[in-house]
Order: sequence, then C-alpha cells, then structure tokens
Amino acid sequence: MLRNTTRAFAVMALSVPAVLGLGGIAEAQDKFKLGMAVGGNTCCEWMKAQGDVARALAEKEGWDYVELSNNNDPATALKNAQIFVQEGAKAVIQFNGQAASNPAISAVMKQAGIPIVTYDIADPGMYFVGIDNLAAGIAGGEGLGKIVKEKWDCNPDLVVSAEGAGAGIVNEWRTGGMRTGLGNICPDIPKEKYVSFESQGDAAVGLPAARDLLAAHPDAKKIAVVGLNDGGVLALINAAEQLGRADDVIGWGQDGAFITGDNVNPHLVGSVFYFLEGYAVYAIRDVIKPIAEGKIPPLKADAGDPASKVQPCPVTAEQAKAVPDMAERVKQLLAAPAGTTEYDLFCPNKG
Amino acid sequence: MTDITAAPVRKGLSEDWRAILTGSVASISITFIAVIAIGWFWVGPKFLSFGNVSIMGTFLIVPLIVGAFSGFALLSGVVDLSIGSMVAFSSALFALLISLGWDPATTAVVTLVACLCFGGINAIAIVGFGAEPIAATLGMLVALRGIAWVLLGSQGTIFAFNIDMFNLISLQLFGLPLFFLVAIALTVVAALIVTRTRAGRHVQAVGGDDKAAARAGISVRGVRVAALLLSSFGAGLGGIVYAAQLGSAARATGFGLEFQVYAALMIGGYSILRGGVGNPIGGALGLLAVAGVSNILDLKAISPYYVNIIVGLLLLAAVLLDRIRGGDAYE
Repeated sequence: MLRNTTRAFAVMALSVPAVLGLGGIAEAQDKFKLGMAVGGNTCCEWMKAQGDVARALAEKEGWDYVELSNNNDPATALKNAQIFVQEGAKAVIQFNGQAASNPAISAVMKQAGIPIVTYDIADPGMYFVGIDNLAAGIAGGEGLGKIVKEKWDCNPDLVVSAEGAGAGIVNEWRTGGMRTGLGNICPDIPKEKYVSFESQGDAAVGLPAARDLLAAHPDAKKIAVVGLNDGGVLALINAAEQLGRADDVIGWGQDGAFITGDNVNPHLVGSVFYFLEGYAVYAIRDVIKPIAEGKIPPLKADAGDPASKVQPCPVTAEQAKAVPDMAERVKQLLAAPAGTTEYDLFCPNKG
Repeated sequence: MTDITAAPVRKGLSEDWRAILTGSVASISITFIAVIAIGWFWVGPKFLSFGNVSIMGTFLIVPLIVGAFSGFALLSGVVDLSIGSMVAFSSALFALLISLGWDPATTAVVTLVACLCFGGINAIAIVGFGAEPIAATLGMLVALRGIAWVLLGSQGTIFAFNIDMFNLISLQLFGLPLFFLVAIALTVVAALIVTRTRAGRHVQAVGGDDKAAARAGISVRGVRVAALLLSSFGAGLGGIVYAAQLGSAARATGFGLEFQVYAALMIGGYSILRGGVGNPIGGALGLLAVAGVSNILDLKAISPYYVNIIVGLLLLAAVLLDRIRGGDAYE
C-alpha cells in the first residue's frame, strides 16, 4: 500500500515545484486596488451590502476592487489579509466580527505597508471608522426610557439586557449606554430589576438563553429590553412570544437592522440606525480616497477619536416607517453626490 | 494439449478503472491533481505561485496536524468528536497563560498535559466503561467548549499577541511556511507508522476487527487508549498553533473543525464508523484538495458558501467509492 502511496505522492511532489516558479510573475499594478473583507456572518443582510456599496464606490472612482468574506471566522480573516497582500491591494477595508485575529492582521498589513480600515471594532494598527457606540447606546436608552415612562410610569418589572460578550468593549458601550440612557429618563428603577442574558447578537442563537431568563422570572410581565443590536433584542422578544408572555414586552435595539421593511416585530419599538451598509462612504471619503491621492491621513485607531465617525440615528418604529428598506437606501445612496451619507439622506432625527 | 484454464486472464477495462479508483489513496490523488489542474487553467499561474501556496499552507497547518493524529483514533475504530473543542480549549488555555506572563515553552507543555488529561477521560469512558465513542466524545465536545468559554471570560476573547511567536509560526523555508512543511512531515511519519510498523498494523487490526485482533494477542484496550491520547495531543498542538498564528483565542476558534477535518479524512479514504480503513497521506490530500477548492473560489471572488456544496459533493463521491471498493466487506 505504501509503495503506491509513495508513487502518487512523489509524482505530485515533483510536479508541483515544477510549476510553482511560473506563478511568481508579477502583474503590472498601475491602478489603485481596494480590498474589502466583508463579515460573512449569515445573520445579517447588511454585511453583504457593505461589500456591494464599497464595490460600487470603488468602481465610481475607477479603482480595481477585490472582495473576500471573513466567513465570521478569525483564521479566515487572517488568511484574507494575506490574500489581499498577494493580490496587490493598496488599501483594505474590513468588517471583522471575530476581532480576535485583528492583532495578527495588523502585523501582516504593517509588514506589507498596506493601510487598513476597520469598521466598528477598533484595533491600534487600523483606521477606525464607526459609530460612537456609547453615544448610540445612551440615545437608544433614552428613546426607550421615554416610552417606559409614558407607558409604565417608569415602573417595569424587569429590564433585560441582550448582551453579546464577543463584541468586547463595543458590547459594554452599547448595552451599558442603553442602561445609562434609560436611567437618565427613569432614574428610580431598582438595580435588582436589571438582568441580562448572552444573546451573541443573534435572534436565533440567543433564543434558548432568553427562554431560560424568562423562566427564571416567571412573574415578570412589563419587560423592557435593550441590547447589543436588534438581533439580540429580538431573541428575548421571540422567546416571550413563544412562551405567550409578549403582551407587555417592549424592546429598543441598536444598528437598525430589523426596524424597517414589512415584517417589523411590533414589540421592537425603536432602534438606533447606524446605516451599516453605507459605512464605505465614510471610509472612502475620509481615509481611502486621500490614500489613493497620495495624501495619507494620520492613523486614528481609537474609537474615541476615529478616522471617521458615523452618526447614530435613534428612531421609533413609527419614524422608521418613513425610512426606505436597505435595498432602496443603497440605491439612493449610490445615486447621491460623492461623500453623502445615509444619515444625511434618511435620518429623521438629525441631531 | 493446452489447458485454457491456466492461461493468464486479461482484466477488463472496467476492472482496470475500478482498480485505479479503489486504491487507498488513488482516488484522492486523482481528485487532488484535478483541483490543481482546474486552479491552473481557471485562475492561472498565480494559483501555484509560492505566495498562494504559502497562504494555503499557513492555514492547513492546524487541520493537517489534527488530522494526522486523530486519524489514529479513526483507524483504531473510535471516532473522537471532541477534537474541535479540544483545539478551542487548548488555544484558550495557552492564550490565557501567555497573557498572564507565562513562558511560551512552559505554557505549551502545561497545555498539552491538560489536553492529554481530557483525552484520558475520553479513554476511560470509551475503553474502561465501554461507552459509545460518538456519545462519549460528543459529551466531551460540549464540556470542553464550555470550559473554553469559561477560560475566555465575559469578553469571549483573550488577546495574547506575541510578535516573536507570530514570527516563529510565520517562518518560511524554500518559500513555504516552515510549520506547513513540518505538518506534512508529521503526516508522512504517521503514514510510515501506519503502513510499515507493527504498531501501525496493530492499530489497523484493532479497527478492522477488534475480536480477531484480541485473539491474535493484540491489546485492543491499549491500542485504543493510545489512539485517543494521540488524538487529544494532536488537537492540543493544533490549538497552540492557532493561538500563536492569530495572537489570540476566541469563542469561534476551532468551531466546526471536527467536521472540516473528518470530512477531509473521509474524502481521503478514512471511514468514520468503521476502523482499519484509511491512510494519513490520503487524509492530508483530502485537506489539500478542499483547501485548493476554497482558494480557487477566493481568487475568483466566488462566495465561500459554494465550498460547502463542493465538499458535500466530494463526500458523497467518497461514500460511493467506499461502497465500490468493498464497504463492509473490509470487516
């Protein structure tokens, strides 16, 4: 058996190096090439749309464009970084929901001299483009607080926080900010009424933990829900619906992913739009285009002092009805003058 | 007078093809060469450039190591489903200790010993108490994933980026990642052990028919304990490499790795439920073929979801070949 194995392996071992060297011919790279690594989590339509917008904007600028999916996996994200280097990208944008590989990606990019923009999850070696998560959290919490005050006179049975610990400090800013915002409007809610569960930022994944939480609080009826994102908040709302306890559940999400369209859950009473699909406008306007023009901007990697700040847009579900769905927003965004953001176009509550 | 029954019998063409397709690594070799050919003609010379092969190699290090070691468990007739979680646990423990300032070498030893302890628990359950391997290692899969999450804490990630470790794991030799070559060498050593040594033949015999092996004086329990320990050791090693490569450990680390590795091993000729079948080189070629398909799709900017379809089809083909070459007749 080994003889045949050895033969097969030897043929391949001899044939592969024979052609290896032929691949080393570098292609002429005159045009600016932008690399884009999309998140690749099947949870959210906006992850794919981030790539679609970046591609359209790059084509408008006359750049070459290469897109890869991080497949929501840290090792794949690092592999993609190496492929961008190989493909001769002059700048890269990434959304890496699994930020564990960011230090290694930074090292690879630094070694290759390629600037990289990261969305929403900061890394010291990457230009930060994203939302002010704490401000977005507080704005959402205050929005929910107004409804809790009006509906329940600031006396809910429970305030549930749908956490997504994997997002690290971003989770703490958003959910902590929402609790702070709620407290700004309703300062007398006792601490023991605040509880949390791990939603992982996904309505389906977080469902069992949400059910467990409700089971542990059988008498709670008036339940206010905050969370890392709309998906996490929906995990609790869906669990309450399954258990027949959703009559007095109200949730306010973050990111605006599930607050538009025909199937908005009636218990999701508001969210904070980030218009995630349109982040490329900020990244290209403030970082990538200057780089393409040879005017490299200073590295601003801190979420507190970002290379480009995305404005949060808190909306009630009623206000969100006037906001087009994602496909229409992308269409209008790409037709707008260069540098126009979705916040400019669609936010009904510009601050 | 001529005895026609003594005349050499010419094999039919279909039998020749059957022989080619049913060799232990022949079919996966053909698949591998087909992937190279498709990559060459579709992507161009870039597909086989040192840079591209190097990228593929870098991300095959962990699956190759894990596959080479876990293959012993499959050969001995016990599937170890806990390897993906073991990788997660190993990377989490390694990253945690590094982040606490431990020396990398000491940390690696402690991590491997911890993994061997969990491998020992698998062995006690399966060999000592006669538990079903799938049930026992499924339990370990869930438990280890939980332990890894506990180690990772509320943030779900431990950053332990060490530029020296990163540079070490990124070392190149002849234009290819050194540790990829090491993983290939490990695979070859595993193949030599399986095919050329008495210990390897014992493993195959135990997996093929444990009762016959016991009658032949082979320690069935000893072989399976050793195979399960090797499996956990390989997964532990894989976790350490992951942590060094990524500079961190996270909840997603190693998630689904058991399916990636076992799918490739099956494509490469192993059987999940029947021991005694398979060759480490076939398994490695299975991993290389899948990585090649994935890379072609990356370079042609095609959705990576198609990889799953292609891997599924290759698996179905492997199952068909398994039936053609005898299936249960091996037992």
